[in-house]
Amino acid sequence: MTDLRARERVFDGIAVSPGITIGPAYVHAREAIEVEERILEPDLVEQEVASLHEAIERSERDLNKIIAVTREKLGEDSAEIFEAQRLMLFDDAVRGEAERCIRRDRFEASYALHRVMQRHRKILEASGNDYFRERAHDLQDVEDRIIRHLRRGRLISAVDPSHIVVSENLTAADIILFSRRGILGCAMDYGGLTSHVSIMARSLGVPAVVSLHGLAGSISTGDVLVLDGLRGRVVVNPDDATLEAYRKRKDRFERLRAEEKSLVHLEPETIDGHRVRLEANLELRDEVSFVAEYGAQGIGLFRTEMLFLVEGRLSVSEEDQFRIYQAVVSAVAPAPVTLRVLDLGGDKLLPVAHREHNPFLGWRGIRVLLDKPDLLMPQLKAILRASAFGNVRILIPMVTDVGEVRQVRALLARAREELRSEGRAFADNVPVGVMVEVPSVALLADRFAAESDFFSIGTNDLTQYALAVDRGNDLVSKLFRDLHPAVLHLVRKTLEAAKRRGIPVSVCGELAANLRAVPILVGMGVDTLSMSPVYLPGVKRVIRSMSKEEGQLLAREALESDDADEVAARLDRWLEEHGCGVPFLVDSRNGH
Amino acid sequence: MIEREVTVTNRAGLHTRPASMIVRTAARFHCDFFIHKDGYEINGKSIIGVMTLAAEQGAVLKLVLDGVDEAEAADALAQIFEDGFGEVK
Repeated sequence: MTDLRARERVFDGIAVSPGITIGPAYVHAREAIEVEERILEPDLVEQEVASLHEAIERSERDLNKIIAVTREKLGEDSAEIFEAQRLMLFDDAVRGEAERCIRRDRFEASYALHRVMQRHRKILEASGNDYFRERAHDLQDVEDRIIRHLRRGRLISAVDPSHIVVSENLTAADIILFSRRGILGCAMDYGGLTSHVSIMARSLGVPAVVSLHGLAGSISTGDVLVLDGLRGRVVVNPDDATLEAYRKRKDRFERLRAEEKSLVHLEPETIDGHRVRLEANLELRDEVSFVAEYGAQGIGLFRTEMLFLVEGRLSVSEEDQFRIYQAVVSAVAPAPVTLRVLDLGGDKLLPVAHREHNPFLGWRGIRVLLDKPDLLMPQLKAILRASAFGNVRILIPMVTDVGEVRQVRALLARAREELRSEGRAFADNVPVGVMVEVPSVALLADRFAAESDFFSIGTNDLTQYALAVDRGNDLVSKLFRDLHPAVLHLVRKTLEAAKRRGIPVSVCGELAANLRAVPILVGMGVDTLSMSPVYLPGVKRVIRSMSKEEGQLLAREALESDDADEVAARLDRWLEEHGCGVPFLVDSRNGH
Repeated sequence: MIEREVTVTNRAGLHTRPASMIVRTAARFHCDFFIHKDGYEINGKSIIGVMTLAAEQGAVLKLVLDGVDEAEAADALAQIFEDGFGEVK
């Protein structure tokens, strides 16, 4: 339990939804449900059957909520997994068998259910196929949900509204139910910026930090936490000085947040009149309203993975895709929309077991699509059709070789042919751009610029490939520095080649939303910064507080430095002096 | 009673979503519905049953239907197998 003198501990992870929050932890343990064999008195049997039915009905109500929110936020396809769980509740192999087991063996409902589900799980686990072995988790989810209701220690009501939920791994469903209870924030051991649950947290406005390796196992419910969803940090048992510092940081952030409304309608222009475009990274159709709300000038990156991230399902028809793209494109027209073709693989694991020893160096992005034209062609056609309704650009992910760009262009030509013969409308000359996220592209940016209409720099992957650091790996994650001079040199090389060819460059990785990086990127001449909409006002404030010249100076210093930490410290001071930062007051003591 | 042989053609096999399609389709009919695979028989109206078949791409299944509307049910079910559940083959 909480020791009053407990030592302060710091966990660093990835910030996925902004906000600073201080409060007690609620540790949500998914696997903690234990059942014991207990035999009922004969006269209690019918009552137990009735409890089972009631728990199943309550579980159904949970799932109905989850299905409704998932459908609204993520679309019909994503809700299907929960639809399947709902079917399981009333499956004779679940409800019927458990009921028979209660009557026959006089087992308590939770034990009867556990026995029944265990038997089904064993069959799945015995399968030689990874995918089916993992489906045993779906059965476990259903079992846990029903048992929680049987115990009335209901998963959700156990969470006090003023808690920070901590877990090894939450699902999108969990965060939907938790957010309805008004939790303060959410911290997870696993997950990344673009995992389902992170996207959902941002969309629901719940401050969140993920990839905190080992946090959940080392704290107890009730421990006081500081959750910093700006820098991706959780402090356990903060001492008085830390608490004081974070209260200030929180106030400061909230003041800045409150002022941000007034920034929405202002131009992203430096004090010496240099304009930068600010655009939004989106992944869900209904996020389109954020474009106006946060004053974005377009959609700089529309990730299409969410459309496809449905269990095992890789084919979304051209028609279904078209409807979504068309809705997004028309909603913001004439502002531009950059649609990135499916970027699966790597951390965004293919749904079907396609395990690779080294997925980040494996089958991902355009490599997958060129191998599977049955995935790429319908998408290209759907995007082209949407181009008739506004201003569309196509972005190719994970390019390493100029030949890949040519192949995509050839397929695009074929897609246009097909559309023409089908009598479909589309815009001529839809620009085709390349993601700069592998050093080979930055190094040969001249040649890529000759084949591309624009560049979009994906800083997370570029950093990981340039520095050979997997940020999810605790042993080396400290070496992941997106302001590393080597990364900045690759960005500069990309920009120089693009300027010579006269093509625009945007930065759409996390770096674009990193306030420290903004003066440098603007100074180096980036045309567009694209990020999750919530970060836009803060970035605009930085742009409006700097001059291009100042940015150039800071960029030169950063490029010449040989120490990424020094660069970061220098930029923190600059932000502070210009009233743009939310200073990390506790940093001096905690290392970086 | 009628029997119909079908093949799992989609790449991912009978995972959660196809299993739920099969069960929902079968629920529209009154007849009993069983699926046989490698000497193993499950109730085709049970999603757990269908999932525990763990049928991968290429698996050959025997659909066994018995009841008033068995013919329509067999056609409807054979059709969704043929379409590969609308997924990549």
